Order: sequence, then C-alpha cells, then structure tokens
Amino acid sequence: MAAPEIPNLKSLLAQRRGGLHARGRGPRAPISHETSEAAKDDAVKGTDQDAAGSRVSCVELGYLDDPYAKVFAAQQTVRRLPLLNRGTYVRTTGLDQLIHQFLTTAPGSPKQIISLGAGTDTRYFRLLSAYPSLNLTYHEIDFPCNTSSKIAAIQRSPAILSLLSHPPTISTDGTSLSTPTYNITALDLRTLASPTPPPLPNLNPSTPTLLLSECCLVYLPPTTASDILTTLTTHHLSPTTPCALVLYEPVRPHDAFGRTMVSNLKSRNIHLHTLATYPDLASQITRLKTAGFDAGQGGVDTGFVWREWVSEAEKERVGALEMLDEFEELGLLLGHYCVCWGWRDRGGEEKDMVFSEAWSGVKAQVGGPAGEGA
Amino acid sequence: MSIGGSDLDQAILQLRACRPIPESQVRELCYKARELLIEEGNVVGVDAPVTICGDIHGQFHDLMELFRVGGDVPDTNYLFMGDFVDRGFYSLESFLLLLCLKVRYPDRITLIRGNHESRQITTVYGFYDECLRKYGSANVWRYCCEVFDYLALGALVSGAATTLEPSDAPFADLNSQASMPGLDQEIEIETLNASGEVMFRFARNSEQSSSAAEPSQNPSSSPLPTPARTGAPGTGASSSSYGSMGSSTGAVLCVHGGLSPLIDTIDKIRLLDRKQEVPHEGAMCDLLWSDPDEIDGWGLSPRGAGFLFGADIVKCFNYKNDLSLIARAHQLVMEGFKEMFDSTIVTVWSAPNYCYRCGNVAAILELGEDGGNGGFVSRANGDVNRAQVLGEKVQGREGPGRRYRVFDAAPQDSRGMPAKKPVADYFL
Repeated sequence: MAAPEIPNLKSLLAQRRGGLHARGRGPRAPISHETSEAAKDDAVKGTDQDAAGSRVSCVELGYLDDPYAKVFAAQQTVRRLPLLNRGTYVRTTGLDQLIHQFLTTAPGSPKQIISLGAGTDTRYFRLLSAYPSLNLTYHEIDFPCNTSSKIAAIQRSPAILSLLSHPPTISTDGTSLSTPTYNITALDLRTLASPTPPPLPNLNPSTPTLLLSECCLVYLPPTTASDILTTLTTHHLSPTTPCALVLYEPVRPHDAFGRTMVSNLKSRNIHLHTLATYPDLASQITRLKTAGFDAGQGGVDTGFVWREWVSEAEKERVGALEMLDEFEELGLLLGHYCVCWGWRDRGGEEKDMVFSEAWSGVKAQVGGPAGEGA
Repeated sequence: MSIGGSDLDQAILQLRACRPIPESQVRELCYKARELLIEEGNVVGVDAPVTICGDIHGQFHDLMELFRVGGDVPDTNYLFMGDFVDRGFYSLESFLLLLCLKVRYPDRITLIRGNHESRQITTVYGFYDECLRKYGSANVWRYCCEVFDYLALGALVSGAATTLEPSDAPFADLNSQASMPGLDQEIEIETLNASGEVMFRFARNSEQSSSAAEPSQNPSSSPLPTPARTGAPGTGASSSSYGSMGSSTGAVLCVHGGLSPLIDTIDKIRLLDRKQEVPHEGAMCDLLWSDPDEIDGWGLSPRGAGFLFGADIVKCFNYKNDLSLIARAHQLVMEGFKEMFDSTIVTVWSAPNYCYRCGNVAAILELGEDGGNGGFVSRANGDVNRAQVLGEKVQGREGPGRRYRVFDAAPQDSRGMPAKKPVADYFL
C-alpha cells in the first residue's frame, strides 16, 4: 500500500468539530489573544455535540431510553466504547435520580429547573413524557449557536412540538424559544456575572428552583462561576426562594489519570477552570455552602453512583448490554467525575422544605443535611 | 509476492517506521506466521533469559520505547503475553511488526494470545475499524484474525536464575542507595527506570530491605513524567525463602489472563483445541480473561467472561505444577507491574499512558539465565509431564530473580500522531 493512501490522522483531527475558528489550528500555532479566546469558546460550544453523540450511542445500545436524543445529534454518531457508554449511563442516571426526587416531592406544587449550558440536552422532554401532569417550568441557557440549532431541530420534530403544552414563540433570529413552561434563552452565561445581568423570560422568582450544571460551570473561571450563581440565586430568584444546585463535573485532577485528563483536554483547547479550585468532593461541599446552599450538601463520584445508586437488577441489565473489558479503566474514569448537590430552605414552612424532604435520604460519599457532619 | 529473506527485512524496516505494508505482503506474512505457529504447542517452552511483556494495545510508539528500554530483537529474547491490538491508533503496525519479527527470528520472540486477539473483540475495540480505514477492506483484518487463532495460549519459562546478577547501573536516587542491600547479598528483585538507573533493589531473605521499600509507595504524589523513583510499588517481595532450595527455581507460567477452574495442570492446557475463535466460556476463554483477586477460591468476573481467582488457587496450582511464578497481563496497573499473593503471581502491563489517557507507567519483566543451567537449550514445546509431585513438601518453589524495567510513554513529539482522538475521550 502506497503511503499516500494511508489516511493522515492529522487531517482527521482538523476536520473535527470545533467550528471555523478552530479548524486546522494546532495548539502551538501562534495566535492572537482574541482569536485564542474565540477558539476556546468554540471548543466549549463543541462539547455539546460530543455529549449529544454519547447520548445517541447509549440510546442505540439500550443503555438509556430517550426517543429525543437523535433529534439533536447533528452528526452521524460513532458508536462509543463500552466504558464511555457505561459512563454516560451512570451520569444520566445519577442526575435523573436527584431530579426525580425533587419533582416527586409535593408533586402538585410548582417547581422550576434552570439548566446551565443545556445544549442539546433532552431532559425536559423526557420529564414531560414521564410526568405529564407536572407543574414544572423549565429554563435552558446556552450560547446562541447551540440554542439556534436546538430550536431548529425542535421545529422539525413533530414529536417534540406535540409534547409542548403551548405553541412556542421563537425570536426572529431563531436563537430563543419561549412558552409559559419551557424556555430556551440564548446568552453567554458570563453576562450573568456582570453588574447588569440580562433577565430570564418566564422565570418565577419565588418558585422552588433547581439549578443544574452538567459539565458547564467547570469551563468558567471560578469567580465568574460563583458570580453567576450569586446572580441567579439572589437577583433572578428571590433570596428567600428554596433553591438547589446540582453539579456534574470532573474531579481529582492531581493523580496520574487526572493530570492526563487535564493536559489532554487542554490540547483540545478545553480548559477545566474550576477544577483546580474544587479538586475533590470535600471542596465541592465547601463551595456549595459558600454559595448559599447551606441547608444540606452531598457529593459522590460516579463510581459510587454505579455501586450505590443503581439497583442490582438494573446493574445486571446494563452489564449484559455490552461486553466490557476495560474494567480498570472504567474505575478510573468513573472516579474522576462527580455529582454534587446542595440546597437552601427558607421560611421553615413545609412548602419551603422541598429539597430537604427530597434529598435528606440520598446516600452520599461526603456531606449530608446541615448539622449531620457535613 | 513472497516474503522471505530481504523482503522480510524490508517489511520490518517499513513497519518500524510505522508505515503499513501492502495487503499482499500481509497475506503472505500471515500465511508464513501460521505455518510457524501451528508447530507450537498450546504452551510454548521458552528458556531464560527472557523479557516478558504485557499488553501493547496498538501503542506503536510505546512499543518502540519498550524495545529501546529492553533491547532489540534478536538481541533480547522476548515473550509478549497478548493484547497487541485494539484501543491504540496503531494496532496494525504494532501487530504486523511483532509478527514479522516472529517470522524472521522465531527463536527470539514468543507471542501468545490475549483476549483482544479475537474477531468479536476487535470489532468493538478498534482493530477492525483501523484495518478498514487503512486498507479500505476487511481483508487484512481477516488475515490477522486467522493468525490469532494459531497463537499459543501460554508459555512456560524454564531455566530462570533465582538470583539476579545486580546491574552495575547507577542509582536513580543516591539517597535511597544506603537503604538498599549491598551487592554481596542475593538479589531477588531489582527495579530500573527507563534510563537503566536502579530505583529499587531487594535481597532475598532480607526483612530490612523490604521495609526500606515501604516509604516509597506513594505513586499518587509523583510527578507526571516517569517518576525518577517509583520505589517498589508492584513488588510483593517475599522475604521468606521456603527453606533452602539451592539455585534451582520452578518454571514460570505465562498466560494473558489467568487460571481456569477447568484447568488444574499445565498438561490440561496442552490438550485444548486452541485453533479457533476465543470461545465465550470454557478453559480457553478463562486463560485469556480471568483475573487474580483478593478472594478465597473462585469468583464471578465483572468482565462477563473468565473468573476471579484467589491466592489459595494460585498457590495450589503453582505447587502442583512445580511453578515458582505465574506472569500474566490483562489488567492495567498504574505502576506497570504488580506482584500478588506472596509473589506467586505478577501482572505485567506494557502500555504506558494507556489509551493516551490513563497516566500510568509501563513495565517489562526480565528473567535471567540460571548459570547452572549449562547454557542455552533450544526452544521446545515445553516438557510434557512436568507436573510431578514433590513428595510431602508443601511450600512453593523459590521465585526467580526478577528485574523490572519501568518506562513512560514515548514523548508526544516523536509520534507524528494527533494529540487527541477523533472520538469522545471524556465526558464533556
């Protein structure tokens, strides 16, 4: 075989997602500060399609039941390795459980979820089909390029349009969508850290609210990330509204696997900014307390989620889906992602204790309700 | 096209440059390799000295690093315990190079089968896709799979010395020298870094050097590049000598995964019909899939194939088969090697920074030649009926002297490969 016939792996690299700015640019290419920031943004925006592809791979193999995953995956999906499918399953299942516990506590009472950097996430549609009578308002925030492709996909999907309780209103530029209960807002999250943050349409400032950051705040500088939380919990929401934060992010950057993860992602222009500040479960708990989620906190790595949160029957079902040879590697991988949650209660009336009621029984590796050795 | 003599050397040169050889040459090479492998028994006999290597997984540049650290073929006698393919970017080049070397120097390199040398596994874990991408058809994958079916299931190393000839290399960390045994003592274990510097040395029958090794077991705090001193993380140094056994040591069984509840003697491995795809269950499957674990007896494997087996199983098997050690691969160990169960079994892992992601170091295991062996004995298919009963003696045989060479991933810029993979590596 002649050498030219051998595909050049470097050319594959340039064709990867990442948008026009990032195309063909090696990490060592001399670039101006501005464009390098733009390239970093593009890399972060691109993480969304990565997640979408992982979700489709999981659905096709039977790990997850999500009829909406395919609607939002822009590219043809490459089948992921068994350990990545397992990891995506564990991540989704872990977050689903916390959200399920929140939504099924005082089921008739109004609730709100704000999903930061939601991208192509299908969670709202899955919740809507699972709990049709839910009194839930859902807000998604992401970069305009991500929201516009999601909104376009929604408009092309009769299945999703028929799920929505109201016909959506779409902004003229196609980047924002609103209904009384489902809103996609196009904005750069960093603007929420400014002194004059933009409003979030249809947000009720007094409804118990869960903030969800699924690999989102981690890409922002720690002060920006905490400023965004302050804005949302004290400006958009009334400071007395029961509110919680659920985080899914990488953890443990200081061991051999963690160091390699940080440097590999850096070479893809993805910087895990908050990871150095919150390198372990204990520091995440402190972070949640400091951010005002003082009624209780919990943290687990995703290995713990698999071991302790997934039922034996479900483990058996998932274990039988694919032969998983890379066992040690899976352990490493699951040990380097965490789910952390914290909440505040206000007022002391029963309707204000929704998160305490929902989560006080959740099995955590670190943390627990306030006053119980958190 | 034939692939003998200079053609073969040409192919080796080309593959060493990490360039695939033409399909027709692959076909010829695989045919030759099968002719050769069919003559080998299920358990190949290998004489020390030999360098034992674990999983490679298509990490071609790291395989070159392995040869740099361990010596080249044919100067060094190698035994690779399988998993040549899948996961890495260069399964094809790695496997074909090893196969070329096997055909060119059949007495200086032994290849045994890993659980990834299988049609089913390679379609999931990358080798199939790689062949398709590099040749535009699955022919080469098919030729390689036919070779997989002929690979031996294990190897039996005999004639290994009980004591290491200490290398006169400098110490990686001069401060540690004082705590190590002097050269007048019998050396059982030595760990060298990629530069050939002594990181750790352990004398047989010595309590004190065993404890000297303890404080260095802190791999988590070591910096990212190969730590100058890994200490002795993998060693389960046995300071008891099982009484005086002279300089003779039992043989060393090498197998990719481990033991099987269906196999209690090495002769039973010899009786298997191996020339087939790796089955989903049974003795052949177990040998390629099982793992040692801190349990009693046998346990179910979380991998869905093979079994877990405990110290009692290993000690009993070794005693019954007159083995001093089982060397196996199959499991990622962050320190490159890991001895378990009083050094009756060792895991050797030879893929540094596995999948370009795990951050681990790799190791190879050198077994020296027993001076009393009277020199080199030619390769045979192992001695049938080795499993002799050792009277009433309950203790195992004294382990061979073991020199581990620990090495890091090849430097990134030597690779001519992307720093990132075209698929999701992490959860984003």
